[in-house]
Amino acid sequence: MVPVIIVMTLIVFSIFYFAPGDPVSRIAGPNVTPEVYESIRRKYGLDQPFIIQYLRFMKSVIEGDLGVSILQERPVIEMIKERLPVTLEIGLLGFLITFLIAIPVGVIAAVKKNTLVDYMCMSGTLLGAAIPTFWFGMLLMYFFAYKLRWFPISGYGTIRHLILPGFAIGLTNAAVTARMVRSSMLEVLNQDYIRTARSKGLFEKVVIYRHALKNALIPVITLMGLRLGWIIGGSVALEIIFSIPGIGRLMVDSILARDYPVVQGSMIVLTSSIILANLLADVLYAIVDPRIRYS
Amino acid sequence: MIAPQSRNGGVYIQKEWIEQQALEAKEGKERRHLIDFFAKLFKHKGAVFGAVIIVLFVCTAAFAPWLAPYEYDKPDISAVLQPPSAEHLFGTDEFGRDIFSRIVYGARISLRVAFVAVGISLVIGTVLGALAGYYGGVVDYIITSITDVAWAFPTTLLAIAFIATLGTGVENVIIAIALASWAGYCRVVRGQFLSLREREFVQAARILGMSDARIIFGHVLPNALGPVIVMATLELPKAIVIEASLSFLGLGAQPPEPSWGVILDSGKGLLDQAPWISFFPGLMIMLVVLGFNLFGDALRDVLDPNS
Repeated sequence: MVPVIIVMTLIVFSIFYFAPGDPVSRIAGPNVTPEVYESIRRKYGLDQPFIIQYLRFMKSVIEGDLGVSILQERPVIEMIKERLPVTLEIGLLGFLITFLIAIPVGVIAAVKKNTLVDYMCMSGTLLGAAIPTFWFGMLLMYFFAYKLRWFPISGYGTIRHLILPGFAIGLTNAAVTARMVRSSMLEVLNQDYIRTARSKGLFEKVVIYRHALKNALIPVITLMGLRLGWIIGGSVALEIIFSIPGIGRLMVDSILARDYPVVQGSMIVLTSSIILANLLADVLYAIVDPRIRYS
Repeated sequence: MIAPQSRNGGVYIQKEWIEQQALEAKEGKERRHLIDFFAKLFKHKGAVFGAVIIVLFVCTAAFAPWLAPYEYDKPDISAVLQPPSAEHLFGTDEFGRDIFSRIVYGARISLRVAFVAVGISLVIGTVLGALAGYYGGVVDYIITSITDVAWAFPTTLLAIAFIATLGTGVENVIIAIALASWAGYCRVVRGQFLSLREREFVQAARILGMSDARIIFGHVLPNALGPVIVMATLELPKAIVIEASLSFLGLGAQPPEPSWGVILDSGKGLLDQAPWISFFPGLMIMLVVLGFNLFGDALRDVLDPNS
């Protein structure tokens, strides 16, 4: 965990350290006197060797200081604190929709294996997995905001603003998840204890929902941890489409404005949260499945 | 079978003859494997359907100048924002450019980015994975820790970070995707090498005094390529989607280049008046991704001995 985060910050730092272009001119602008140039270079520690610069950078990151935005002249951490919760709201809604769709579809497909229902479910997930999330967001916007006027077209503020982007993420993510639920469910349904449960004369519903589903969902938890990165990546374009002031939009705007401290800070916060989520998924995995022990 | 005897140096020639027989048997076996493989693939509905889609798109890209009825970047003031019709199959955009022609040329960008980026990342990942798995020890430790982190990064975000420093443009998108997506190959190849390096044929090669490079690339790697090919096939559609999203965000191909992402972006503000501008490029992305996914899944089914 800690080594992973150290290597991660090292990679992010290196990407921006070795970026073409002079960081001093980026801060000071093109027309400065050599004295001013030199003082800025010294002020930001840019005259130090790579490893010293990295250690200083790490020290300030640990202290919660991600630098200052060149464009807005505000601490980057403040800007991220404003934007991150917005992205998390969309992500959480997306996860909720994913589960609400993927679990029933996956279970039904597994129980009715090799029937018309199964084929239809699986074709649907195949199509769903191929749909680009941001295009799907635009389709939803066209039908449900422009034509039917059920939801606001874009912006942020109420829960109604979040529903369309949440569905765009949730439905495309559900496609992948439903396939996972199905194959995991099929594996569990072949186990001996399911046969035992059936031969005890339990109702099929009890067998499936109380005995099989619980165990089938365990591997899905790990998948969800891994999908968080995908969800955040996908929400970048959705935030642009629906004019939502999330961290993805902040990042794209900052790249286009060459505001590197903001991009670097956002990258670090996002990847740390994804690494943390994966760890959380692993811990959760061990809690729900007592057979797994991490030494 | 009886080996032919010869007048001089019978033993030596007999040995050569045996080697020759072994080689022919091996070639025959390989040929049978290959025929078997294609027979299975042809019987797989998903593989055939996916392959047809892929071939259609590759042909579209290859024959773009003959297929496109109009020039992709030529404005026509008399035909602005026309809905789909016989004249303009997919309609026109706000400059009167033919969307169909733009999409046909856009296939070139999408496929080039996908194949080149996946090719580069495959080479990076395979070489690193081979080194880590074959040598083990410190080499393995260093490569594995970097790979674990690269693996934890979501590809899209990492590609965005590279674009932030490299700058926009199709070439930089290729580099960014390649640098952001090699970790998967590295993990797979390393795993394969770990299980293969103790096998008899590798030990035999070592005893014969072959160089490490020859053992790695000539003997172990060919045995580890199956899962890598499956992975690469499934990475192609991901690269296409990432290219389209980056171009959509203004971080990839730049207008007036006819990248599908650029066309989608140009229709964003006109969604209510001219939904066809954004509809068709997205549909094409979906189709081509579906094709590669179907083919990749089928390939995995056929190559996986457990299925």
